[in-house]
Amino acid sequence: MSLHDFSGALYTTPISTWIRETAGVIPTTQSIHILAIAVVVGSALVTDLRLAGVLAIDETPQTVVRRYLPWMWAAIAVLLATGATLVVAEPNRVLANSLFWIKMVLVVLAFVLTLLFRYPYLHPQFQHEHPRWAGLAKPMAWVSLLVWIAVIFCGRWIAYAI
Amino acid sequence: MTWTNFLQSLYDSAVGSGIRESGVLFPSIESIHVLMATTVVGSIAIVDLRLIGYASHRRGARQLILDLLPFTWAAFALAAVTGSLLFTSNAVGYAANTQFLSKMCLLVLAGINMAIFHMTAYRRIGEWDDALPPPRSARIAGATSLTLWIAIVFLGRWIGFTVQ
Repeated sequence: MSLHDFSGALYTTPISTWIRETAGVIPTTQSIHILAIAVVVGSALVTDLRLAGVLAIDETPQTVVRRYLPWMWAAIAVLLATGATLVVAEPNRVLANSLFWIKMVLVVLAFVLTLLFRYPYLHPQFQHEHPRWAGLAKPMAWVSLLVWIAVIFCGRWIAYAI
Repeated sequence: MTWTNFLQSLYDSAVGSGIRESGVLFPSIESIHVLMATTVVGSIAIVDLRLIGYASHRRGARQLILDLLPFTWAAFALAAVTGSLLFTSNAVGYAANTQFLSKMCLLVLAGINMAIFHMTAYRRIGEWDDALPPPRSARIAGATSLTLWIAIVFLGRWIGFTVQ
């Protein structure tokens, strides 16, 4: 079964038809999707800028990561659920769109960066001052912020690209 | 010059028609608008949650506000500029759109709510800076702000589906 056949089959399922044809479902889903993006942006902004040594440097990175990481995970879960709803509604428009797949690669990258460079801070004995870690964590904080910005741009452009 | 003429002249202006007729300008400006709007809402939500009584990345509410306010204002300024450019491309349509007009009203209300907070609870922030939960007036300001900004995001997305 090709991706094209899969999209076609998904399009004709009752759930896909329901999401597409019930007034208000797609705009509501997209609005929730954008609110979850706002949570990611707020969390990523403070966490990444703290780890980059720009913001709230009088607080420990642990404090900042502990405050925002749970919100980050919750927002990502909401983004996946609402994003999946939008894919099911219009599979042919999304799955054949190369920008969508670029966005997915970037999302996985952002997720891996969050896992590798945020999650360790939750460990009580984590040594964030270790020179080898500190030398890597700073640039990766900027990379993480840029990847999230790229994800947002791709997301908006999916609606316009063929 | 009447209001309708003004909207029509915006629509016909070089900026308005340039954005409308180019294939890439509208989505590019819109992407920046979404990035800035989510930065505004994300940074405001952190402050609002602290005002409601959730602990944040620092104990003091005043320093938290000072940490985030520059980002909120810079992003808001860029969201306003990009929003105005998008408006110009279809001024007549947006001005007649209920969702757009409601969004503008809620933005004004959010501004008034913020002004009231700054003139009342924020003036006495020294007394409740480290307090969790904060005083009732701060909690009301935070909850009002969060509600308004969530509604603003919904209305903003809805404009794209309803504008003629």
